[in-house]
Formats: sequence, C-alpha cells, structure tokens
Amino acid sequence: MAACEKRRSAPAPATGSGLVEPVRAGVGGREPESEAEFLLQAGVTSMVREALLKVLEARPEEPVSFLASYFEKLVLSGPQGGAAADRHRQQQRLVRALWYVRLAHHSHRTAFNNNVSMAYECLSARGRRKKPGVNGRIYSELLKKICQDGEAPEEVVSSLLKKIQCRDHEAVPFDVFRYGVLSCFVLLEFVAKADTLYDVLDDGSGVADKRVCQAVLGTLEDALGASDFSVPIRYLEAGSKLGPDCLALAMDKALLERKICSSMNREDFLKKATALFIAKVKPID
Amino acid sequence: MEPPAPNPGHGAGRPMATRPALCTVRSPVALQVGDVKTDLAQPGVAVIDVALPPAQPLDLQEIVFKNSYTAFLTVRVQRRRPCDVGRASARKWVTCLWNHCLMPSPHTEAGSQDYFSLFRHQPSPVWLHFTLEELRLYPRGQQSLQTDFPSWLSHLAPQQQPENLHGGVPDPEKVSTEVQQLWVLTEMIRANQTAARIGRFDVDGCYDINLLSYT
Repeated sequence: MAACEKRRSAPAPATGSGLVEPVRAGVGGREPESEAEFLLQAGVTSMVREALLKVLEARPEEPVSFLASYFEKLVLSGPQGGAAADRHRQQQRLVRALWYVRLAHHSHRTAFNNNVSMAYECLSARGRRKKPGVNGRIYSELLKKICQDGEAPEEVVSSLLKKIQCRDHEAVPFDVFRYGVLSCFVLLEFVAKADTLYDVLDDGSGVADKRVCQAVLGTLEDALGASDFSVPIRYLEAGSKLGPDCLALAMDKALLERKICSSMNREDFLKKATALFIAKVKPID
Repeated sequence: MEPPAPNPGHGAGRPMATRPALCTVRSPVALQVGDVKTDLAQPGVAVIDVALPPAQPLDLQEIVFKNSYTAFLTVRVQRRRPCDVGRASARKWVTCLWNHCLMPSPHTEAGSQDYFSLFRHQPSPVWLHFTLEELRLYPRGQQSLQTDFPSWLSHLAPQQQPENLHGGVPDPEKVSTEVQQLWVLTEMIRANQTAARIGRFDVDGCYDINLLSYT
C-alpha cells in the first residue's frame, strides 16, 4: 500500500522538538519529520486556511458539501494535451469561476471583490499554448450563466448583455470584468425587488392598475433623473420623492386624473422597471 | 456640546438657530459584514446614535454637521405620535433621508470636509426620540462622519397627507420601501461604473477590403 503513494523525501528531523513521529508506522528507512513541518511544506496549512476563510465568507448552509466541492475544484489541473481536453478544461474553469462569483452577495463588498478576482484569475489561465488573459467569449459565457440562474426575463437579460458584453476576440481587463459581473448580480436583485413591488401594487389581486404602476415608475424615473446632479440638494430631493407621502400623492393623483381603468401585467411592469435600471448601466466601449 | 460651525453659502432670509439642543451623541459604531477576523478591510458603514433627553419633546428644525470623508448619509428618526404616548411599542422609525450623497465622487476630495445643513421651513410634529444613522460608503471604507452636534432636527418638507386616499391605492409605506430599494440598486450600479475601456476601433467592417468597390 505504501508503494502506491509517493512519499515526500523527509528533511532532517528537527532535533529536540519533541514531536517527531513517523507518519506511517512500519515503513522503515525514512527520516521522520515533525507533523507541523510536514503540513507546512506540503502546502496543507495554507490550503486549509484558505478553505476555512472561504467557508467563513460564504457561510453555506451545508459546510461539509461546500468544502467537498471546494476541494474538488482545487484538484482541477493537469497537463493533459489535445483540443478536446482543452475545451473540457475551459468548461471546468467556467464552472469554477461561476462558483466563485456566487459565493458572496454583491453587497458584501470585500468578499465579493475577492471572489471576482479569483474568478478572473481562474479564467485567465488558459493552458500552455494560449496567452493568459480573459477573452470576450468566455466573459460573455460567464455573464449568460450568471443571469440564467435568476428569474429575469430573457428580454431584460439580453438588453443588459448588449451593453456589457465584449466581442469574442477582445481582451477583457479586470475592471470591465468586475463591472460586468456586478451588473448581472445587481440586475437579478433588481428584478426580484421589482417583482415584490408588483406584488405590493396589485394588492394580492394578481393584476395591478396601470395608472398606479405608471405613477410609481414615473416617480422612480424622476428620482433617478434628479440624482444626476452632483449637488447634494438634488439627492435630498430625489430621496424625498420616494417617501411614502409623495408616492401616496402621486398614486392618488393618477387614479383621480384618469378614470379609465386598465391593468398592467407583470411582464410589462418588469420590462419598464428594468429599463430604468439598464439605462444607468454604462456601456462598455 | 460645541457651538455651531459656520455655514458657508446658505441663503439669507431664514432665522438663525438660537441654541443647540441638548442631546447625547454616541461615537460611531461600525457595521461590518462578515467575520471580523478574516475581513481585513475597513468597514464602509457606521451608525451614529443621537438620543434626546426623555420626556422632553423637541421641535426640531435643523441639523448641522461637518463631513469627514463620508460619501452617503441616511437619517432615520424614531418618533412617537402624541396619541401613542404610554405605549412603548408604538414607536415608529421614519426614514427622513436615504442615501443622501455628501460626496459626489467617493474617491475624490470633493465634499469630503464640507459643512452640511439640513433645514426645512415648517415645523413638524413633535419628536420624542431621535437617532441618526449614517452609512453607505461606496465603494471603500473611509473615516466616519463627525457630527459636531445636531442643533435642531430637520425633516424634509412634509407633503400634505392625502386625507382620503382613493380606494385602490396600495399601502404607500410598503411601496416606498420597495421603490427606495430599487433606487439604491440603480444608484449603486451608477456609482460603480468603471473607467476602464476595451478600446474598440471597429467600424462595423466598413473598411473590409472585400467590400471595397470602384463603382
């Protein structure tokens, strides 16, 4: 059994440490080394520390399976040749990058940025024959996969991607990568919140009044437009427009002004709401 | 409490605050997401509590403070309506200001040390307890806000409460909460824009040699 596993050549034992023990009993002829030194040299200490940090950041509900998949992904490597193996490895890198960026919520700023860096590095390593770096194709694939996870409608996702995607051959710098990934996650959250807003607006009936929806979206658009200015007072105004009093007035006014009652369905509402968001996303150029 | 700092550039024609109100300002408490030991970066969010003396209603008009590298400010007030006196659970939190931008560009110096004043022109209902929350620095953690003192509490121009809301109007409080979150998310993506560019020079293949012709 001992023959199948390569033993590392042990360094000279630390005399006087008092902890010297042979790692495997019965295997003669090797210098014993201290446990702590062995772990350090094998890189196990830093690896376990990294793993623990990831667990603490991600706080998964099932830590054991989280750790299992973490170590599984760490094992991904290997100098196999051939185009098929290349593609396979690229898929694996994509999966791993996706896993990284999903670890922390985007509001956990430090953790999220760290994870995006790891994902970027992971995608940058492209094999022996290719130059390192993230190209537009794999960046766009990653963005698509992130958006697939959420409940965002197809149209909404594609209008965002149009703004932030890169062409296949283009080299994607880290800042652009981070911005693209962040935009996708924030869009997913925006869609979820807009959905909740529709639930509030329809009052449980399943269908919301068009006038009310338009009043609310109009107020949001006003607030977003007002906050374009770099003057603090404009932000005060924008914030106050979105207070309950202002919104109540706007909705009330809308219902009184137009007597014709029609409804807006959920998809239309989401489309209009996300259009406001996507308008503020800066296109990549 | 120190005397009010000078207010440069604020218009004439409004009555000067006479004396700062007595209150206790606690030192900022940093809110940090994630494990304190592993998170090496400075937290970007801090909360400052300001408590008024109990049982002393205060009609507040203005807050003055000096910024120290805070990018965004939120002010929340816990108030008790006069009819609710006696019920401890009846206190309600009201957001007066959400993500008010103090520094137009969080990375640069603009606005970093300015004096800000929040003032309104009509007195508002009586406040019993006031807490100032200060938070949201995008994207890096910075020093905390130094509140010199709040002299009066201001509330943004209160709108007329619609007396009889039309029957079909959904709950404005809930709508407001959700819409404000949408606003914050959009502002966040705007604030996080990257200056990096791909540097495209493509002109849609117009100069593709195969498309050139002599006619």
